[in-house]
Amino acid sequence: MADTTELSRAQIRRMKRFDNPWRNPKLIWGAGLILGIVFMGILGRLLWDMELVFTGSAPLKLPPVGFENLRGQAGVAAHPIGTDGAGRDLLSLIIIGAPNSLLVGLLASCIGMSIGIFLGFSAGFLKGRVDDTIRILADVMITIPPLLILVVFQASFGDVSLTMMAVLIACFMWQSPTRLIRAQVLSMRESGYVQMARLSGASTMHIMFREMMPNLVPYLFGSFIANVTTSIVTAVGLEVLGLGPQRIPTLGRTIYEAINSGALIQNLWWWWGIPTILLAVMFVGLLLINLGLDEVSNPRLRKL
Amino acid sequence: MRTTKTLLAVSAAALMAFTPAWGQSVAREDTVIFDLDRTIKDPENFNWFTPGTKRLHGAHQAMWEPLFILNYETGEMEPWLGTAFEPNASHDEWTLSIRDGVKWSDGEVFDADDVVFTVNMALGNEDLSSREAATVRAQVASVEKIDDLTVKFMLKSSNPRFAVENFGVRIFGSMLIMPEHIWNGQDAATFAFYPPIGTGPYKYASGATNRMIWDRDDNYWGAATGFTDLPEPLRLIWLESGGEESRAQLMAANQMDAAQTVTLGTFEAMQFQNPNIIAWKSGMPFAWSDPCARQIEFNTTVAPWDDANMRQAVNHIIDRSQIVNVAYEGTTEASRSIFVQYGGMEKFISAVEDAGYGFSASADVAAGQALIEAAGYAKGADGIYEKDGQDLVANVTVNTASTELTRAVDVILEQLNRAGIAAKPVPVENGVFWGTALPLGEYELAYTWLSCGSINEPWASMGRYTAKDVAPIGERAPGFNNTGRWNTAATAAYSEIVDQMGGMSVGDPAIEGMVVDAYKYYREEVPFLPMVQASKLLPFNTTYWSGWPTQENNYNHPAHWWGHTHQIIHNLTKSN
Repeated sequence: MADTTELSRAQIRRMKRFDNPWRNPKLIWGAGLILGIVFMGILGRLLWDMELVFTGSAPLKLPPVGFENLRGQAGVAAHPIGTDGAGRDLLSLIIIGAPNSLLVGLLASCIGMSIGIFLGFSAGFLKGRVDDTIRILADVMITIPPLLILVVFQASFGDVSLTMMAVLIACFMWQSPTRLIRAQVLSMRESGYVQMARLSGASTMHIMFREMMPNLVPYLFGSFIANVTTSIVTAVGLEVLGLGPQRIPTLGRTIYEAINSGALIQNLWWWWGIPTILLAVMFVGLLLINLGLDEVSNPRLRKL
Repeated sequence: MRTTKTLLAVSAAALMAFTPAWGQSVAREDTVIFDLDRTIKDPENFNWFTPGTKRLHGAHQAMWEPLFILNYETGEMEPWLGTAFEPNASHDEWTLSIRDGVKWSDGEVFDADDVVFTVNMALGNEDLSSREAATVRAQVASVEKIDDLTVKFMLKSSNPRFAVENFGVRIFGSMLIMPEHIWNGQDAATFAFYPPIGTGPYKYASGATNRMIWDRDDNYWGAATGFTDLPEPLRLIWLESGGEESRAQLMAANQMDAAQTVTLGTFEAMQFQNPNIIAWKSGMPFAWSDPCARQIEFNTTVAPWDDANMRQAVNHIIDRSQIVNVAYEGTTEASRSIFVQYGGMEKFISAVEDAGYGFSASADVAAGQALIEAAGYAKGADGIYEKDGQDLVANVTVNTASTELTRAVDVILEQLNRAGIAAKPVPVENGVFWGTALPLGEYELAYTWLSCGSINEPWASMGRYTAKDVAPIGERAPGFNNTGRWNTAATAAYSEIVDQMGGMSVGDPAIEGMVVDAYKYYREEVPFLPMVQASKLLPFNTTYWSGWPTQENNYNHPAHWWGHTHQIIHNLTKSN
């Protein structure tokens, strides 16, 4: 009879994983999904005819292969996942559109996080007036619904570029990281190594960014990923309303055009359905990465 | 507990008391629901002389009646509040006879005083900027009452088309007569005219930003005098549908009776779900061809579009047949000239085509690019033309009220971009489009139909681009005429011929040659580019109401936001 305390092979394998917390299955799956979208963007551009992304380059409203549309037209291999109502190939649309949506999220989150890190560290470490100002600013901004302001902003701008949209969204992505980092820094600044650094005469910048920040890296990563998700949701929200870039394919814009052209009643499900599925994949990927990172930074969350 | 009960009872009572007319019980089968493609910014303002949605929400279809209605199918001007409109031999004095027995819905008599008052109001007030008021100002020198039922108009110059142009619902609306007993003493530019009254068979019941409700007036003068029967519907509602998808859903679910234009695919899907839905034609292309052909308007005061060669370049780059096939799914045809392709216009279209001034349905991108390069542009690494480090940009203003317009502009932008012009859309809301962007000249390029006017003679369209209508940027172009501010030596030469044409009778054989002469100047500088003929696929629902205008039942055309909709409403009968 086997010893009940003896661990199974699988358990031992999992135990070993503690040696390298980055080999976290959630993290790997999440990164896999996101990288899949990135690779689709890169490989697609090489393998697929990108001319098909232009209006009128394909027959209108063709269904995916194996399906029929209301007019009884069958899908063709030249457009494997169908075409939209303006004669654009849906595959080429998502090859360009999906990475674009991801890019807006990453860019907005990068900018927002950078501002958040700087302000959060400044507030937590410097305290006093600086802290008061930053804290109140963040508290006030966190109460303002970003979509509301962005809708007004973008409606008055008309056509904006992807980068411009990312910058606009970033204006609303710094408050949460600022508050959270400030709280962490407040507790961290009293710890021994910080006191030590201070005593040895290190500059404020050195202490903030060279001594303390490395300890917050997994945490910052988690916050970054959460911010990417929020940024993409905001960007898609704007695009589905018909705002944002007018001539650059994004998943949100494709859904907007589908709704605006009566795709639901015409049963052109592939037109809005495929971008929606891709968005879902993107969000699941980001969520898994976030959960994975949580486990990386907090060993107590890891399960045997 | 008792307090709660009391509160509940009070709120319930309050709710019942304040439930708007929307909630009053008129059965669905007694109601006709029309589609409104825009928001009513100010639902308590009925001053239709000033900009805003103030008449196509039912006001000029159900409440205010026109003097005459042009029948698009017969070409005749049918009498309504007026009975006759006779010119003198030189067409500079016109005498209007008014129908006897017409009454405003408050019981006052409608007579010559109302007509004289309204025309004088338009003549004496530059702030009344509606197209009809501006046209009357441009044409009428004075107006005088002969007797209670006769009015005489003295014109500034001879105009054989005066009656149909101003009072015949030729395009969309006509000069509507307002009740003197209410408007007198008011500042016409600011008066809200609320609650409004009219002579029509429906009275204003209630309104909000997304709907306008009209209830039948059983004391309607038309029924009392035997002019016509009382219309069958007890209530008319104009409801903002908010886009093609919801429009289609409302029609399929029998929650709407007459919809604004939809694309072919949507129409087919609607019919698939609800076989009671019909359109003007019973088969492909289903659509009615609207007299307002689509065009690209250039603001000729903005570089580089002040250069005629650059405008010609755009003309070469545009592939009209692709616009037809992609944006309109084959339901319309490419424009061959600036004119609507109706039978009555064919001889003028052929004449300009024979003279070599026609427009091609296909593109000649190389020719367009050669013109751009001749203007000093060179292609950059991104495939876009540049000069002095600046990209060649074309900002195209598009009205977002209809999918038809945005789809067409999408195709145009694609064509321009692929040829090397960085074309971008400037989507604007309907009120901004008509309220400021176009009349004030605040655009570079715009997708419009401003040469609209001619049906069976060429002057109405050509007369909209003459030198006399050039307004400075920032001031209102009179009656949306020449919003692109085309004002060159060619404009002067063009205007001279067109103004001369304006005084000639409709059938004058000399006109054809003059059209070609004037058209030469237009074609050299193309201040606007005809794109495609306008097709309107207007779904009607026969579940509750029959008698909609169709090609077989063609008492008039189906554009139910026009002032002739009185005829449609009088023709409706309950479906069994």
